[in-house]
Formats: sequence, C-alpha cells, structure tokens
Amino acid sequence: MFGYIIPEKQELRIREYEIFRSYYCAVCKSIGKRHGIFQRMSLSYDATFLALLISSLSGEPGKVKRERCIIHPFRKRNVFIADTMAIDYASDMNVILTYYNLLDKANDEKSVLPKGAALLFRKAAEKIRMEYPEKCGIIEKNLNDLLKIEMAGCPSMDEAAEPFARLMEEVLLFPGSENGKNAEILRWIGYNLGKWIYIIDAYDDLEKDFRKNSYNPLICSYNGNNKGSVAEYKDYFRERVAFNLTYTLSEIAKAFELLDIKKNKPIIENIIYLGMLRKTEQILEIGSCSKIEESL
Amino acid sequence: MRNPYEVLGIKEGASEEEIKRAYRELVKKYHPDQYRDNPLAKLAEEKLAEINEAYDYLMKNRSSSGNGYRSYSGSQWDNTANSNNIFNEVKRNINIGNIKEAEDILNRHNVRNAEWYYLKGIVFLRKGWYDEAFSHIQTAVNMDPGNPEYRSTLQKLNMTNVHYRYNPYRTRTHNSDLCDICTFLWCTDCFCECLGGDFISCC
Repeated sequence: MFGYIIPEKQELRIREYEIFRSYYCAVCKSIGKRHGIFQRMSLSYDATFLALLISSLSGEPGKVKRERCIIHPFRKRNVFIADTMAIDYASDMNVILTYYNLLDKANDEKSVLPKGAALLFRKAAEKIRMEYPEKCGIIEKNLNDLLKIEMAGCPSMDEAAEPFARLMEEVLLFPGSENGKNAEILRWIGYNLGKWIYIIDAYDDLEKDFRKNSYNPLICSYNGNNKGSVAEYKDYFRERVAFNLTYTLSEIAKAFELLDIKKNKPIIENIIYLGMLRKTEQILEIGSCSKIEESL
Repeated sequence: MRNPYEVLGIKEGASEEEIKRAYRELVKKYHPDQYRDNPLAKLAEEKLAEINEAYDYLMKNRSSSGNGYRSYSGSQWDNTANSNNIFNEVKRNINIGNIKEAEDILNRHNVRNAEWYYLKGIVFLRKGWYDEAFSHIQTAVNMDPGNPEYRSTLQKLNMTNVHYRYNPYRTRTHNSDLCDICTFLWCTDCFCECLGGDFISCC
C-alpha cells in the first residue's frame, strides 16, 4: 500500500477528523493484536480508507473508546471499536500487501533490508493466506502478470495498470460482499482505485526510474527522441496523466454515489472529492496549492 | 418501497420547495448522461427509478404536480439507420454490456475508419482504459471532424473531469480560491468554444 488515499484535513470537521483518526488507530491495533508489534509499522492510510469504506456499509452504530497504546504511551487516543470485521479485514490486507511489496523489493534490489523484513512478515502472511486462499491466489496471479508486463517493457499505460487495478478490485470485494448488491459497485471502485494508484505512482517514480533506468510505463510509452532530463518527461506527460487520473477519480465518485452508505459519508466524500484530487495535483505539480505534506 | 423522504435525503414533512430542490439535485447526479459508457449505468438507472418513485409518491399527496424531468431511456443507440452491419453488431453488444464480444468483433475487422476508432474508443471506455479511449476517440474526430457524435463524446470525456471537480460536495465546502475560479472560467470558455459559442470573447 502506498498512502496516497488521504483526506483533505483542512476541510474535515473536527469530529470527522477524530473519527478518521479512530479508524486509523483501530486498524493499527488490530494489526498488533492479530499479527505482531513489528507489523504495525506497515500501517498505511490506504488501509484506513478501506476499513472506513467497508465499515460505512454496515448499519452498526459507530463506537469509540479512549485507549492507550505502546506507540503513544502517554496520551490516550480514540479507537474505533465497532465493525471489527471491516477493521480486521483491512488490517489483514495491509499486512499481506506489504509482504508482497517487500518480496518484490527483495527481488529487484540488492539490499538485504527488504529481504529481512519480508522474513519477519512471512508468518503473518501465511496465516492470512490460509484465511483467504482464493483472494490471495487472485492477488498473486495479478502481481505475476504485473511482473511479466514490466519485464516485457509494456508501452501502454492502460495495459500496465490493468493487473494492479484487478488486484485492488479483489481487495475491495470484502468477504461477504461477493454476491450482494454492492459487489459490482465495489469492484468498479476498486478497479479505478488501483488504476489511480498505479498511474500516480508511475508519475511519482519518473525521477527514480529515469535515474536507475528501470521500467516505467510512461517512459516506455514515449516514442519520440530521447529527452535529456526528467523535467522534460514530466512536462510532456503532465496533461495526459492529469486527464487519466481525474477521469479515474470521477468514475470512483460516480460509483461511490451508488453505494448505500450508512455512516461516515462526509469523510469518504472528503477523501474522494478533495483529498485524492489534492494528492493528484500535488504529485503532478499543478493547481493553486502545493501544500507541504503533513502527518494527519 | 423505502421511505421516500429517506430516498430523497430530506427531513420528513419537508416543504414542496425542498422536495423539488432535492429531487432536481438527485436527478442531476444520477442522470443517464452522467453514467453513459459506465458499467454501472444499470444501477444508476435503478437508483433514478427509485428517486422518481419517491418523488411521485410525495407529489401525489400534494396539490400541484408537473415536472419536466422524466422518462429517460438508458439505451445508447437506436439500432436502425446505420448501413454497416458489423458496427451495428458491435453497438448491440456494447448496449447489452457484452464488451468482450464487441472488442473481438472490432479486432477481427480490417477496415480502420473513423467509426472503427470511435467504437473501439467506447469499448476502451467501458473497460476502464481511459488513456486508450481518449486517443481512439480523438483519432475518430481527426478522421471525421464533421461527425457530431464523435465530437460530443470527446467533449463529454473532458466535461466529466470538470463535473467531478465542481461537484456539490466540493462547492459546499466554499473553498474555491482564485485559481479555481480562473480554471473554471477557462474551462467554461473552452467548452463553449468547442460548441461553437464563446464565453470570454477576447480569448
């Protein structure tokens, strides 16, 4: 997970902000309880969003409890304690995706750090694999496809993004939702979320990939004279990537409007309509504000 | 039937004006035009039907009726009037949501004219391949600039992004700063020019 899916803090009500934080703490605690203290370090805002979205589909009223934790031992924080299924599922997905990500890094980097970290995650990953064998099978298949596409140097942005979009589609389809009326909508949100993450990440990585000469779908799609600097590539792709990312967000928004949301609607709207758009503009270096990123 | 007030997102006992306003907002949001070429179009249609039903129910209990927001058909093309059988077959498949089949027929077809690029673009749009969709529809417009359908689809792609940026949620937060207003004016001007009019005459 990447942490691109965040709310626009300035536009949240304080109450909403507190609820968002309580979900964040809940997912963190769930990872700690189910998988171990070390795995808690992998917590991302993307997983928080997942928990928030799934939990908002249930009619169970939200409940918050003030608790202490090891990471913040001196100040009690609000922790969301309802909808444990949603929280636990998001924490499992956070851990397993981190594990796959570490494996991928261990493969293409010489450093031993990701390898060691992956080893630490292995036991937790095995447990999650046992719990959702089919889901993890589909995730692994898509990661394999992604690897193949990268090896082949695929020049199409859409084709390259497809496996990751399919992966997120599977992640959003939480257990029990497969045959419900929301399944199709969740799939489309997931597909477009995956696509958005993949493309924004590709643009964000232009500099790194250019320097290391590694695969980047944008650079591969370029078939003119080689450009001398990253900045030129960035300028060249900016408008096209902006169109694609904004369109993807608009599809997420349209699908979201069809969901029967029972709670937390303004927070999710904030993320979909403001937070992710702001992130897009920030990465693409467009728009009126290039705000400094701050911890939520 | 669900509580009609809940469907329209208003308090029970809301005034007629409030009902109408909420109804208008929702119709705009779930209008078939918003979900054209979207795989969830059917669900949006159902949602709209539910909204219509709720509105009718509430209005029936009041004196006045009369509203002009009704009877949308979800179908994109009427299946007549086109001479090319293969493209008709593609359109039929797109209409019933069989995107894979539509794509296969197009891939087997050798004549790459404007219509081919256009339909291929629509197929890509339904698959979620927006980059390819845009470039294919752009190609169709370049090959046949006079075709209003191609041009309006291309405009709609751009307009979708404008709609998303200026959605009710965003405007509710009252945070539009100067640059946002500039962008909006600029976009409005561009789209007016595309349609043959003009919003800001000097540029």
